[in-house]
Parts: sequence; structure tokens; C-alpha cells
Amino acid sequence: MSSIVTETAGLAGARAGARRSSLWRDTFAKLKKNKVAMCGLVFLVMMFLFCFIGPFFSPYASGKVNTVMINKPPSLVHWLGTDNLGRDILTRLMQAGRISLTVGLAAMVLSVFIGSVLGVVAGYYRGVVDQIVMRFADILMTIPGLPLLFIIGAILSEWKVPTDYRIYIVMLMLSLIGWPELARLVRSQILSLREREFMQATESLGLRDHRKLFFHLLPNTVPILIVVATLRVGGAILSESILSYLGLGVVPPTPTWGNMIDAANTLIDFQKRPWLWIPPGFAIFATVISINLLGDGLRDALDPKMKR
Amino acid sequence: MKKGLISALLLILFGAVSVSGCSTQESASDNQTPAAPQETRDVQSIPDSFIPATDKSKSPEAAKKRTDTVVATLTEPGGVFNPYFYKNGYDGNVSSAIFAPLVSVDKNGKPIPRLAEKWDISDDQLTYTFHLRPNLKFSDGSPLTAQDVAFTLTILHDKAYDGDEDIFETKIKGGQAYKEGKADTIEGITVIDPQTIQITTEKVNARSLLILGGPVLSKAYYGKGYTPGNLEYLRTLHAKPLGAGPYKLEKYITGQEVRYLANEHYYAGKPAVEHFIYKTTEGDALQFFQTGETDYNSFTANEDNLELLKSLGYANINVYTSTAYSYIKFNHSKPYFKDKRVRQALIYGLDRQKIVDTAYQGYGQVANVPVSPVSWAYTEEVNPYRYDLEKAKALLDEAGWKAGAGGIREKDGQKLKLYYLTTKGPLSDVLIPIAKENYKELGVQLEAELMDYNALLARTAKGDHDLASFSTTMLTDPSDGVIQFGSNRSGSFTGTNGYSNPKVDELLEKGISTLDIEKRKEIYKELYNELGDDPPYIFLTYRKLLTAHNARVSGFGPNGYTGISGNLPDLKIEPIQ
Amino acid sequence: MKAYIIRRLLYMILTLFGASVLIFGLYALTPGDFVDNNPKLTDERKAELKQLYGLDKPVVERYFVWLGNAVRGDFGYSLQYQQPVTSLLGQYIWNSFLIASASTLFTWLIAIVIGVISATRQYSLFDSVVTIGAFAAMSFPSFFAGLLIIKFFAVDLGWFPPGGMITTGSNTTGLAHIWEVIDHMFLPVLVLTMLGVGSLTRYFRTNMLEIIRQDFIRTARAKGLKEKTVVYKHALRNALLPAITLLGFELPALFGGAIITEKIFNWPGVGQLYMQAFSLRDYPLLMGFTMFLAILTVASNLLADLLYGVADPRVRLK
Repeated sequence: MSSIVTETAGLAGARAGARRSSLWRDTFAKLKKNKVAMCGLVFLVMMFLFCFIGPFFSPYASGKVNTVMINKPPSLVHWLGTDNLGRDILTRLMQAGRISLTVGLAAMVLSVFIGSVLGVVAGYYRGVVDQIVMRFADILMTIPGLPLLFIIGAILSEWKVPTDYRIYIVMLMLSLIGWPELARLVRSQILSLREREFMQATESLGLRDHRKLFFHLLPNTVPILIVVATLRVGGAILSESILSYLGLGVVPPTPTWGNMIDAANTLIDFQKRPWLWIPPGFAIFATVISINLLGDGLRDALDPKMKR
Repeated sequence: MKKGLISALLLILFGAVSVSGCSTQESASDNQTPAAPQETRDVQSIPDSFIPATDKSKSPEAAKKRTDTVVATLTEPGGVFNPYFYKNGYDGNVSSAIFAPLVSVDKNGKPIPRLAEKWDISDDQLTYTFHLRPNLKFSDGSPLTAQDVAFTLTILHDKAYDGDEDIFETKIKGGQAYKEGKADTIEGITVIDPQTIQITTEKVNARSLLILGGPVLSKAYYGKGYTPGNLEYLRTLHAKPLGAGPYKLEKYITGQEVRYLANEHYYAGKPAVEHFIYKTTEGDALQFFQTGETDYNSFTANEDNLELLKSLGYANINVYTSTAYSYIKFNHSKPYFKDKRVRQALIYGLDRQKIVDTAYQGYGQVANVPVSPVSWAYTEEVNPYRYDLEKAKALLDEAGWKAGAGGIREKDGQKLKLYYLTTKGPLSDVLIPIAKENYKELGVQLEAELMDYNALLARTAKGDHDLASFSTTMLTDPSDGVIQFGSNRSGSFTGTNGYSNPKVDELLEKGISTLDIEKRKEIYKELYNELGDDPPYIFLTYRKLLTAHNARVSGFGPNGYTGISGNLPDLKIEPIQ
Repeated sequence: MKAYIIRRLLYMILTLFGASVLIFGLYALTPGDFVDNNPKLTDERKAELKQLYGLDKPVVERYFVWLGNAVRGDFGYSLQYQQPVTSLLGQYIWNSFLIASASTLFTWLIAIVIGVISATRQYSLFDSVVTIGAFAAMSFPSFFAGLLIIKFFAVDLGWFPPGGMITTGSNTTGLAHIWEVIDHMFLPVLVLTMLGVGSLTRYFRTNMLEIIRQDFIRTARAKGLKEKTVVYKHALRNALLPAITLLGFELPALFGGAIITEKIFNWPGVGQLYMQAFSLRDYPLLMGFTMFLAILTVASNLLADLLYGVADPRVRLK
């Protein structure tokens, strides 16, 4: 599998280097034709606006506990009802969206950063550096994600993290288990890219290593990284909810979509109080599916032959 | 046709009325909200009760089909079925059906005879003589004698013993010498005749009776091949237990079920139900009760679950009080907790009533003493520490913590910022938001952190916390609930990281140095008042437990001390017409 | 070829050694140990027990003791279950293998069928609907999907049992037993398949798209072969080959990834065992389980690569 990925991605990379601006125009033109992906994009933009601007218009933004209004169904006062502490679900949904989306994006950025830097370095220098980085990635990949999350979660709990910063720990955890796969992907691309003509040109120009690496090699991997990164965001949002389920996530009262669902994750609430779990459930579902559709559309647009 | 139209109109009208009725009600409560946002709902405390099934015939077919089998749920047994060696509390539940003790406790925690017919305690309260019932047998038909009791107590003294029972607490004469290999037998244990055993201890301890009168292991079975210092061979026997309890193990299907057969040699007669099964389930497992796969479940006690169980019709419901209590412990090694006024302020400043009402909806009550209301030692004549923000503020002012920047109190340049560690659960979901709000008003910054239970234990043992939430296990004797407050117990993680109060030490010692319950009551009341004045913990709640069983089975009457293990011999299946 | 295998085996041993160091180190860093778990014990008793279990020794020494035994195939006794770790895993592993392999099978079947159809009709209505469907299935958090499914299919409709592997107290044998297990497997396998099918469908779709455009397919079409023969015989075969390497990753990942599903459906698999072991810090069992997965991953990767080499002579193993 890896050999084929390398080959096709290499083609994409070369093209990206040659005429980047027109590539982006092409891509967007193609993307615009893909209705499903565009729907995803539009929905995502709306979701961002909803979560980041919405809370400013809410009278319940303080999230104060109100024991008189516990578990009330939707009404004109509370459009989506209230939760077990009498807090407004709609407001919490928006505030939770901020956190969940931020976690998703940040975990992606971090793992892409670690993964691509290590991948580029390993692929370019080969030899000992490559061996060290890739063996380490191999080792990490032999331990399945969930057990690793348990351990990392317990270890990181040793750091005295103020509640408000717990979200960074969650991002860190998710990116720690996410980078090896990316490093592999980037490395295999670099391995083929470095044999291409334009790299020989940089050689004869006498450019320094870090210029070659980060200005000539890395940009060529951007198209494939974008696709992978998009899909990663969706994965990270789901992982955040699973961390909440396992008690390793963001600490309440800070809301996330994950801990909102988790708080209503009993048969009784499923039967009696749909307003507790439908909003966050729908938010996760719709966001993840939109991201995935967009990512899928991007993949098709960037190169119809490219694989995941 | 016309009739139909009219009724449709009526329906619409009615619908409209009921909708508007709803909305007026709601707006009424909304109008109140801004005026008194902190008003707490009036939550009725639910008394212990038994709610019988309304319609037995609604029992699901799956349950009706089991004519000679009763199924109860259990979280996750681990396969070590030995009352002295299990490593996981659920194996304790499994074992308690197989092994019967000499002495057990009733629903108020008072000792009652099981394998022992009676017992005598000498006047100096140091020597115990147990008289076994005649003709006792293990489930394989072999006789159970005082020799078996002696053997059981002996291996608990072995230096290779790695179980939970701390026999040395009873200070049996010569026990230490046996452990160190200086003696071949334990001097204080004397078998007088096959039905009588006498045990001499060196210290009066109110807890000794139940420890000495524990479950009995067969010497012929478990003692074959025993040499002091070597208990490895026992491991192979953990999966094939032999006891004198109401049931014997039929089959253990890992991760799924523990199956029992009625023990024909049980001293009170063979139980009426031939098969008993513990099914491995996670959490409430409501779905199994609803589909009839289980006959007995325990649930989180709250209104939702109770209503649902009532609606099933075939559920006999038990609401009873747990013997455990939950608490937030202070880290007494922190300098700012040395001043008891700070600790008092943190109790006054926390709206425990609101937390308990919100989390348990009436199925819990605020705790003020470290013993459950069902115990004989319980008292309400202590400081109730009702939520009182002003008093809390005054206490902190007095202690020198003055309001500083950002509303956070300071003393000598140090901010009053507390780290609170806890595990994930229904209580912490409610407690963290409320406590944060409460303490913010008081000028205290609270930082909460969730972690798994084991990490919580390890970190509080190290003293990483300022505050940490725990709940005790089932407590049999009132001394179980206070033992950690002794200054010599510091460091143990249920412990206090250095709480020390000479008066408490003295009262703790006195509390277990007599076996007279009336005297002990007075001592504990004095102790509880001292603990109220110089608080080692913030006591939180006593919880209700909610269990339900299919009405086709009679005989379940769980209590906070022994759960259902005491009921097993009396279960009966009643045919449903 | 021989040199290749030897080198790969060496890598494998190196990776496993590294993994064991890492896992052991991480577990050592994790706060809490087995003895700490019991709130009833006094300090003296705890110290005694730690000594009995060897928990008081320095980490490095403990690691080498563990390694020495593990190399000889002895993974020690589970502290909690008082049984050898290997026999314990042996009891649970097959249950996990059952749902893991069943859901892998279904995931692949569904993914191949859908992937091929939506590739041959790129941008058709079917393609869009299936794309959305495949992504919808994987856009639920697993714990949420599990409980929703239990609510609808087991409690409300009563079509399937809500969990477990056999009906409580059941003594069925033979065919009836097999049927009973299948009945109980259905819902957990459904959840696992739902979660996995999306990405694999996309994989096959893109793979097919690429191959359909290649010269040999054009030649086949030009020869006048039927479209069906072209797609299923020539294109699909070539699209499936590189997927073999994927399989090497999928199966081990399923063992680790089914932890939550097993928990929700009360399935008596290794996932349940792991959760329990972690909460009690039963290190021998944790190490045993994690190493088992590591070995499985490394070995099935090697196997997949070798198979790929055999199946597709164009791939040179070097």
C-alpha cells in the first residue's frame, strides 16, 4: 500500500510545486461542483458561527446552577430545555461547541505538526535519524489507542492542571497518539520527492538543509496533509467524547459535546428526556459528518486518484 | 360524524387548555427565579421503604420460564472465591454465598449467630469461647469442627498471607510469634472439644468478635499440604471453593456468570431454590431487569429509577440506607488547614443540602457524623453545619484570610486556592459546579480535577490534594468509620495526612475498649462532637440504596450491612398463575 | 527473500523490546499500584504486601525480572485473579476474537461491495447516498451508538438480547448454543461494523477509481470483455491486493478498539478484562495484555507484507 501512496502523492506534490496558485483555484472549482462536500462546508461555517457568536446573545451564559429549573423540557424560555443542574441546554451546546471544535482543530494541528516535522526529517536524512524516528513510531503504533489513552490520562493527571487548562491536556493526549501515522505518511512522500528534479536543482543552488526541508519539501506534501488533517478533526471530536465517557476528558462544569452526551448517557434519560442528549448528539454527528464529507470532497478535488 | 367532529374539537380545546396550563405554571416559576435564584427546591427526604409489586403477571416471559433459578447481578467477579484471599470486592459477594461465618450481623449491625450457636466472652473481655452448632457439615458432607476454625485463624497469621484480613488487630496471644516462626502453633487458640473453641486475646477490641467469628475454611481441604510460610498451593483451590454456606459453586463462566447449586448440607436446611446465579453486568443494567434476564438488580437511588421500576408492575422495590458515608477530606499537612476555623468555614460555606438534593433527589441526606443513621451509634446531637455564607466569611476573616485581588482571599501574600481531586460520577457532576460557585462567593478559588480511583488514592496518599472526595465501604462497626482519625494512622490514604487531636485519640481508644454498646454510644457521641469542632473531613452524605427484585421471588430483604447474602437461604420462587 | 525475512524478524524483536520498555515505563509512571487500591489496609500491612508482590523494588529491576520471565513465556500471575496471565488471556481472547473477526468480515464485505459500486458510478445518486451513509455510521461516539442500539433493538423492540454472550443460566449445547451466541453477537458486531465501515468504503472506492483508469483495464474493455468481467475480475482483484496490508493493522486494532463496545454490551472479552485490570493496576495482567496486542500487531504486519509479496509479484521485498 505504501509504495502506491508514495507514487501518486509524489505526482500531486510535483504539481503543487510547479503551479500552486492554479492548483488551489482548480481545487476549489472542483470542490464547488461537489454538492455534498459543499453542504458540509456550509454547515461547518454555520456551526462555527453558532458556537462562537451565539453565546453572546444568550442570557444564560454564566452557566449558573439553578436548582429550581432542573431537567425542564424545551419551552419559550429555554429553547432546548435545561439539564440536571437547571442550566440552559442551548447555551451550553454553543459553549461546548467552542471547546469541542477547538479541541478537534488543535489536536489536529499539533499531531500534524509533530508528524510532519518528524516525517520530513526522517525521510530527508534517512539513515540513523530515520531509523530512530520510525522505530519509535512503530513502537507507539503497536500499542492500541485506548489503552494508551488510559495510561497517558492517568500519568498526566499528576500534573496539577487548573480546570480551565485541562482542555490542553486533552489536546495533547489526542495528538500524542495521532502523530506516528502521519509521520509515516509524510516520510514516504519525502522519500520519493527528494529524488525528483527540483530537489536536484536545490542541491546545485547550494541551499541549506532547513531551507530545502521546510521551504521545498514540506510544501509539496501539503495537499495530502490537508486531506488527512481534515479527516483528523472529525476523529478528534469523536475521541474527545470518548475521553469524556471514560472520565479522562475536560472536567465539568466546562461543557463539551462529549461530556454533555455522557451526562445523559443512561437508559432513563434516553427514554424520558430526549432534549438532554439529542442536541449534543446531533451536534457531534452533524459536525463530524460535515468534516468528513468536506475532507472526502477535498481528496477528490485535489487528486482523483489519491488514496487515504 | 357530528359526534366525531365535536370530540375532535373538544380534544383540541382540552389540548390547548392543558398546554396553556403548563405554560402558566412554568412562567410562574420563572417569575420567581430572578427574585430568588438561589432558592432550593423543597426536596422531600425519602424514608426507607418497601414497595410491593402491583401486577406480578407482568413479569417478562424470560423470567417466568426460570422455574428453579434466581438470577442476581454482580459487577465483575474475578474468580478468587475465598473469603480471605479475594482481591476484588465482587469475589467477596460470590464467596459469601459459599462460606458461612460463625457470627454475622443483623440489619442494625448487631451480632447474630450463624455457624456458632452462641459465644461467651470472659469478664475481662479478652477471651472468646465459640460454641458451634451440632452436626455442622461442609458442602461435600465432611464435618465442620473447631479444628477447622483454628486452622482458619492460623493461616491468617502466616507470613505469606496476602489477603485483606488484618487478624493482628485482634492481638491473639502468640500470633506474632507464629508469624515470625518462633512457635509452631498459636498459643491463644485452644480447641476444647470438636464443638468448642476458645481464643485468648491480649487487648480488648470491640471489633474482635466479628473478625474471629468469620467464615470457616475446611482444614482437610485447604490445609492439605500446608507448611508455615507457604500458601502458594491455595491458588489452585480458589476456583474450586468448599464452604458451609447455603450454596455451593456449580460453574464459573469467566466474565459472564457464577452459577450455584443449593447446598444440601447447609445447617438450616437445603435452600428452596435449586439454582442461584450471579450475572456479570455493568452499572445499573436496567435493560436486563426490563427484559427479564435478571431477578434482582441494584440501581442508583433516584426518582427516575424508582418511577420506572414502579411502572414495570412486577418489581418489588426496596429503598434502604447504606452503611457507608461519603466525605471530602482535608489534607491536614497543608499549613492553611492547621487553623480549624478555615476548615469550619469551608463546611459552612458549602451548600451541602443543595448538592445532596440535586444529586440524589431526596435519596440521600446530609451527613454530619461518620456513621450511618441505621447504626446504633448514630446521633443528631452535633453541630449540623447548615449552609451559612456569612458565618463562613466571618470565620475566614478571623483566621486572617482577607479579601484580595479578584475577590480571592489572601494571607501573607498567598491566595486561598484549593485543589480538589475526585473521580467521575453522578456526585462529582453536581458537586463541582455548585462547590465552585459556593466557594467563589466565599472568596476561595476551587480547582477540580477528575481521575480514576486508583490514581486518586495514590495522589492523596502522597498529599497532592487540598481536598479530595471519597466514599467509605460498607461499615459494620462504628469504629470502622472513625479509625482513620487517630494520629497514629497518618499516611494511610483513607487517612488525613496528619490530622492529630489528642482528645480524639483518647476517645477512639475508649470506643473499642469495651464491648458494652450503651457505654460505647456515649463515647461515640462525645467523639462525634469533638470531630465536629475540629473537623477532619467535610462529611457529605448518607445515601439510599435502591434494589428491586422480580416479585416471583420472595425472600429478598437486603440491608446496608450484608446486602443480600443473608437472604440467600430463604429465597423462594412463587409460581405465577 | 530470506535476508528480508531475517531483517524483518530482527526489527520485530527490536520493536517489541522497545514496546515493552515503553509500556513498562508508562505503567511505572502511572500513579497508584495494586496494594494502594485497598482502603482497609494499614501502612505496615501495605508495606508487607508490596514486598510480597515485589512492588517495592526499583523499576529497572522489576522490568528485568519481568523481561526475564516473559522471554521464557511466563507472564506471571495476575494479582487480582490469582491465575497465570496467559491462561487468563486464553479464557477471554476467543470471545473477543469472535466479535472482532465477525465485524472485520462484515466490514470488508460491505466496504468492498459499496466501494466498487460507488466507484463505477462516481458522482451518481447512489454514490452520494452511500458516501453520506458510510460517514453517518462512523459519526457517532461508540458509547452513544451502543446505548442507542440497546434501547431500540433490545429494550423497545425486544429483537435481540441486551448484552452478554449467552442467556443467563442457559445450558444449551451444539447447534442451539451456536445460535444463542450468534443472537447475542449481533448487536455488538453491528456497532463495530458501523464504526469501521466508513473509512474502508472510501478506501476501496478510491482504489477502484484509480485502477479503472489504468491502461490494462482500458485494454480489457477494448478487447470487448463484458463490463462486469472487467470490473469484478480484473479491476477488483487489483484493488484488493494492496488491501491485504491493511488487514494486518485492522485485526489487532479491533482487539484494542472494542474495549468500549465490549463494556457496553457486557461482552466477556479481553477489553472488559483490561478495564478491570487497569482500574486495579494489576500490572502483570496489563503488561501481558498490552504485549499480546503488540506481538499480534507486529506479527500480523509481517505476515501481511509477506502475503502481499506472494500475491503480487510486482512488489519486491527488500
